[in-house]
Amino acid sequence: MLKTTACGFGSLALAGLCQQAQAGVPSTLLQRQPMFPPRAKRVIFLFMAGGPSHVDSYDHKPELYRNHGRDYDFTGVRFGTFGKKSKRKLMKPLWDFKQYGQCGQHVSELFPYTAQMVDDLCFIKSMHTEGVAHGPSTLFLHTGATNLIRPSVGSWVTYGLGTENQNLPGFVTLQPSGSKGGPRNHSNAFLPAIFQGTSIGKAGQPASEATLRNAVNTSLPRAEQERRFRLLQKLNAAQLANRPQDDQLEAVAESFELAWRMQMNAPEVFDLAGEDQATKRLYGIGEKHTDDFGKQCLMARRMAESGVRYIQVNYADESTNPRWDQHSNMPKHMDHARATDKPVAGLLADLKRRGLLEETLVWWGGEFGRTPFSQNADGRDHNPRGFTTWLAGAGVKPGISYGATDELGDTAVENKVHMHDLHATILHILGLDHEKLTYRYAGRDFRLTDVHGSVVHDILS
Amino acid sequence: MGGDSGPAIVPGDREASRLIRAVSYADGDLKMPPKYRLTETERVALAQWVESGAADPRSGQVSKKSEEIDLAKGRRFWSFRPVTQPPVPKVDEALGQGESLGAIDRFVLSRLAKEGVRQVDLAKPETLVRRLYFDLIGLPPTPEQLDEFLADTSPEAYARLVDRLLSSPQFGETWGRHWLDVARFAESSGGGRSLMFRNAWRYRDYVIDAFNSDKPFNEFILEQIAGDLLPEGTAAQQNERFVATGFLALGPHNYELQDKELLRMEVVDEQIETVGRAFLAMTIGCARCHDHKFDPIPTRDYYAMAGIFRSTQSLVPGNVSGWVERNLSPSPEVQRKIDQHSKATKKSNAALRDAKTELQKVEVAAGRAGVFVDNPQAEKIGEWMKSTSNKNFYGENYIHDKGEGKGQKKVIFTAELKKAGEYEVRVGYTHGTNRSEKVPVTIAHTGGETTLHINQREVPPISNNFKALGRFRFDEGKATITVSNAGTKDVTIADAVAFIPLMNLNKDSGLESRLAKLRGEVDRLAKRVELLKNSKPAGSPKAMAVQDQKEVSDWHVHIRGGIRNKGPIVPRGFLQVASRRQVDAQAKIRAGSGRRELAEWIASDENPLTRRVMVNRIWHHLMGQGLVRTTDNFGVMGEAPSHSELLDWLAGQFARDNWSVKEMIRHIVLSRTYRLASVGESDGLAADPENRLLWRANRKRLTAEAIRDSILAISGQLSDQQGGYTIRKFSQYDWGYEFNTVRRSVYVPLFRNTLMEVFEAFDVANPNVVTGRRNETTLPTQALYLLNSPFVNKEAKRAGERIERLGHTDAERVRLAYRLTLGREPSAAEAEVAMAFVSDAVSSEENRPWASLAHSLISSIQFRYLD
Repeated sequence: MLKTTACGFGSLALAGLCQQAQAGVPSTLLQRQPMFPPRAKRVIFLFMAGGPSHVDSYDHKPELYRNHGRDYDFTGVRFGTFGKKSKRKLMKPLWDFKQYGQCGQHVSELFPYTAQMVDDLCFIKSMHTEGVAHGPSTLFLHTGATNLIRPSVGSWVTYGLGTENQNLPGFVTLQPSGSKGGPRNHSNAFLPAIFQGTSIGKAGQPASEATLRNAVNTSLPRAEQERRFRLLQKLNAAQLANRPQDDQLEAVAESFELAWRMQMNAPEVFDLAGEDQATKRLYGIGEKHTDDFGKQCLMARRMAESGVRYIQVNYADESTNPRWDQHSNMPKHMDHARATDKPVAGLLADLKRRGLLEETLVWWGGEFGRTPFSQNADGRDHNPRGFTTWLAGAGVKPGISYGATDELGDTAVENKVHMHDLHATILHILGLDHEKLTYRYAGRDFRLTDVHGSVVHDILS
Repeated sequence: MGGDSGPAIVPGDREASRLIRAVSYADGDLKMPPKYRLTETERVALAQWVESGAADPRSGQVSKKSEEIDLAKGRRFWSFRPVTQPPVPKVDEALGQGESLGAIDRFVLSRLAKEGVRQVDLAKPETLVRRLYFDLIGLPPTPEQLDEFLADTSPEAYARLVDRLLSSPQFGETWGRHWLDVARFAESSGGGRSLMFRNAWRYRDYVIDAFNSDKPFNEFILEQIAGDLLPEGTAAQQNERFVATGFLALGPHNYELQDKELLRMEVVDEQIETVGRAFLAMTIGCARCHDHKFDPIPTRDYYAMAGIFRSTQSLVPGNVSGWVERNLSPSPEVQRKIDQHSKATKKSNAALRDAKTELQKVEVAAGRAGVFVDNPQAEKIGEWMKSTSNKNFYGENYIHDKGEGKGQKKVIFTAELKKAGEYEVRVGYTHGTNRSEKVPVTIAHTGGETTLHINQREVPPISNNFKALGRFRFDEGKATITVSNAGTKDVTIADAVAFIPLMNLNKDSGLESRLAKLRGEVDRLAKRVELLKNSKPAGSPKAMAVQDQKEVSDWHVHIRGGIRNKGPIVPRGFLQVASRRQVDAQAKIRAGSGRRELAEWIASDENPLTRRVMVNRIWHHLMGQGLVRTTDNFGVMGEAPSHSELLDWLAGQFARDNWSVKEMIRHIVLSRTYRLASVGESDGLAADPENRLLWRANRKRLTAEAIRDSILAISGQLSDQQGGYTIRKFSQYDWGYEFNTVRRSVYVPLFRNTLMEVFEAFDVANPNVVTGRRNETTLPTQALYLLNSPFVNKEAKRAGERIERLGHTDAERVRLAYRLTLGREPSAAEAEVAMAFVSDAVSSEENRPWASLAHSLISSIQFRYLD
């Protein structure tokens, strides 16, 4: 214990670290045993880019109504106002709250569909995180670092567990944005490349066009593709004939066989044509506001069904002010709520009726929340000090609310959950110990949670 | 035991033991364990244990001294020892099989003899020539080059080929690329808001030129770390040295980080880590928060270097920070153009100003003076942001809606008109490509309200600032014009409005005609000014660079890396363990930041790491694995060299050759060991499966660049144009950038947010970190890329057409296809497969047998490997 506290490393760990580099480190997507019995097999992360306002949606603050328009002392956290004190005006929620479900969770008019599912949700209302601007905070959400080059959560998960279906990627991110960290948000960083997130489509493109890159050959008719592939098999066989039992070369030949199988399988996963009308309606597909995000959510379910390990669905765009980023004009939150609420609730309901929710952890949230005081008359600024995230499905207690912000909703005060803690908890639910899931790089063992993070045991089922 | 802020435990003294303070949570910054506080019982037990002398619980022994990094012991580790001059071993000359043996071979063979392992035979000439072409110039030999070499039976043929390839310009493009991996080169910042580095290409070209001109590697080091501080040279030298310091500047930084002190330290950290790994193969960054866990690098060494880089300016302040750019002296020809242009601009600006003044005078005289209302005087609804970025504004500034809050923002301009009558209404705005195209302007006049739309992307016709909207009648008193952002899509501008009276106040027709003439003159001059602005010559070129801060100083240790947690100040200096004596690690700074002294310390013959690291990297690229396989880690966590004497001999030779990279390459590729086959019978397979002893050549995978360049070479599309700016004009962001070029891969823009697909698929170096050795993965996404990507399909089609055109018979075409793609003749069996395929095929628009054959060969296993 003494060595642990003084130097940060136990001597046992040290002994482990002195072994030669990377022997036995997984570098394939083959399924691996978790470290202990997992509560969930996979994750679907619904990323709400820009920072949805918790005080207008799930974190009900009666005091905020009472103090509407009053001054609030605030110490600046941004460039130019760093450390400076100023008076800000408190602003009451723009939408009314009602209680729902057995649990009586408050939900505002922003999310009427999700409100119907609250008995399945596990709210964390005491989230806090690092960074103030979108880029650093979004990177922190995805990689546990605001600036340094670190692997994404999904990369760590597939590194730890591999994936169930070898004909599909293990970590998929649907329609990611190129801004606010961009590809680094799904990057493997220094982990082997196989753990990189595979992006399907990109923000701003219609979901109906999203598919696995190069899974479809647009240059050649099917018959010709097949002829070339057969010829390639013969050429490879002839080349291998002179090199019997050469693993490296055989792996290349095998990669073509696998690619050919993926080509047959992958496009089907992203093709929603086979889904019945009732299912599509559940997700709001075919309705003006929800069609696009509904399609993404339905693809997520199809991937979950096909055994993709980590699925991220992005509600994001390419603008300087990401979608939920209402520095002015808070009423615009309604557009985003309308676009996502029904699809998200539909996804939960669909997972539930298919029994998939029992083995899938669903995570909804943004990179931070918004301030209880106003900005530019009718907007709210970024708030990394306190915000709400919810989890649902495998591994978490349904119908509960954990932690709290202060009475105005500015700062997490009770049972605080740092983003590192959330990361640790997600890994734990998947059967991975965030302190033991390490990778040796540049002479050091790295973790998703760096030297931080504690599992939030109170929310585990 | 302890850290930078004092010993954790002082046996017998609980007050001086930081451990006890940490667990007590008495100190705001020092809390251990960080997550929870120990129980009272645990804390008391600890305190008593310290009081009683802090015995080791395993042995019961009371420790005498706190553990500190033992530098003397550290210096005994292989990589920190001075480079030795090992004698070249004697070996059985018969092992040369008729060739005389060089030093490299003698070291290798002597070791093999000891282990009782024999080398395999030499590679076949066609294998060797393909290997050499790719290794030195990154391209396959053409069938003609192949024939030429195979036909030359003279003993000097191979050495001549080596010389020819070393002196070809493609050499620098290939070996420069290796260095660009180490320099984590990229042309955008990546991170939160990825910013384009539009001048980074100059650093790329500098590197390529350095390898082509065989710039001594020690000079190359000096220029990259401290080029700006070297004694003054010619203008061209000076330019080159500024550009070279781009090495320090072009890291992946999150310029929008709001905590600017943190950002500054992150940049310093990145520079220390990059310099450490690039030149010394040391992970110095580990010592930011605590003494290095594995290598003898104390935290004070880190902050000794941090003092140097904190005294170096890399950032320019701002909400989103900028980076330092330094002006380069333009070539005389460019300078002449710049001078001419600036003279013409000055002249036109002055003429325009004069004409405007004159016009104003006449307008007053003619009773035509307009009534102007500027935006500060107008009523603003919603948030409008002030700006002066575009200079053609009226008054002090203009305002814009930030492109948001559509339909909720308005600017109401109200004028006090002294006389009723007809006025020309003008609205002022600054134009630009990001502006709204249909901005509603509502004029409340005597006849009612009229709304007109203006396109703010177009240059305003009057003085580049105002646009006339027509004639309207107004009553005496208040008149309003409203600019709104309703229905607009982009940035909407409001600057000013003007009412120009048109009533016949003055009948002096002379004045009227003079007025018309003057207005024409002002418009003409305004157009000319705008024209000149758009035809500005490329201007004084700029380089991404660094410079010394105005104030330079030593810096504090940051306790546990906390940027606001300052410990003692440490003098600027270098790694103590890699300095022969303690005193050599202190920077004897003549002036400035100390970068020059750091560069000299690294580039010195005395430094035990620098030469070893570089010759090992060269060895790695040519032999497929380094003598030290962990090319970027020469520390305890790295691997020890397989042939330490050979490594030192090479490092010594490097110095004897005046740090010439080309000479080092020549020594290695002329060795017999380089020319061995990669397969063959030997007892090595069982004794040494990893080939650490070099009983055969290692098979190497082609780099992503070589794969792409070969495909373009085979299809006949590859351009041989060298150097220059290659990012497409008008591309604002790297995300979604469309790569469309047939230039060599080294010239393809390299962005941190978007990599060319083939690069991403085939393990190009991660441009965020120092990479001396790339990953080599085999993934189905690579196969999908080769099978289905439009690029490969298109080039295979072209290659097929080329094969069809160049060959006369099918048999000839099959041979050509193999020689073009794999650099060898097909075996009888392979020729048979290919002939059968071709004769079976029915050629049609979509079905081209030669394209199919080329495509399948490009996809085939051997294409991506060098035997």
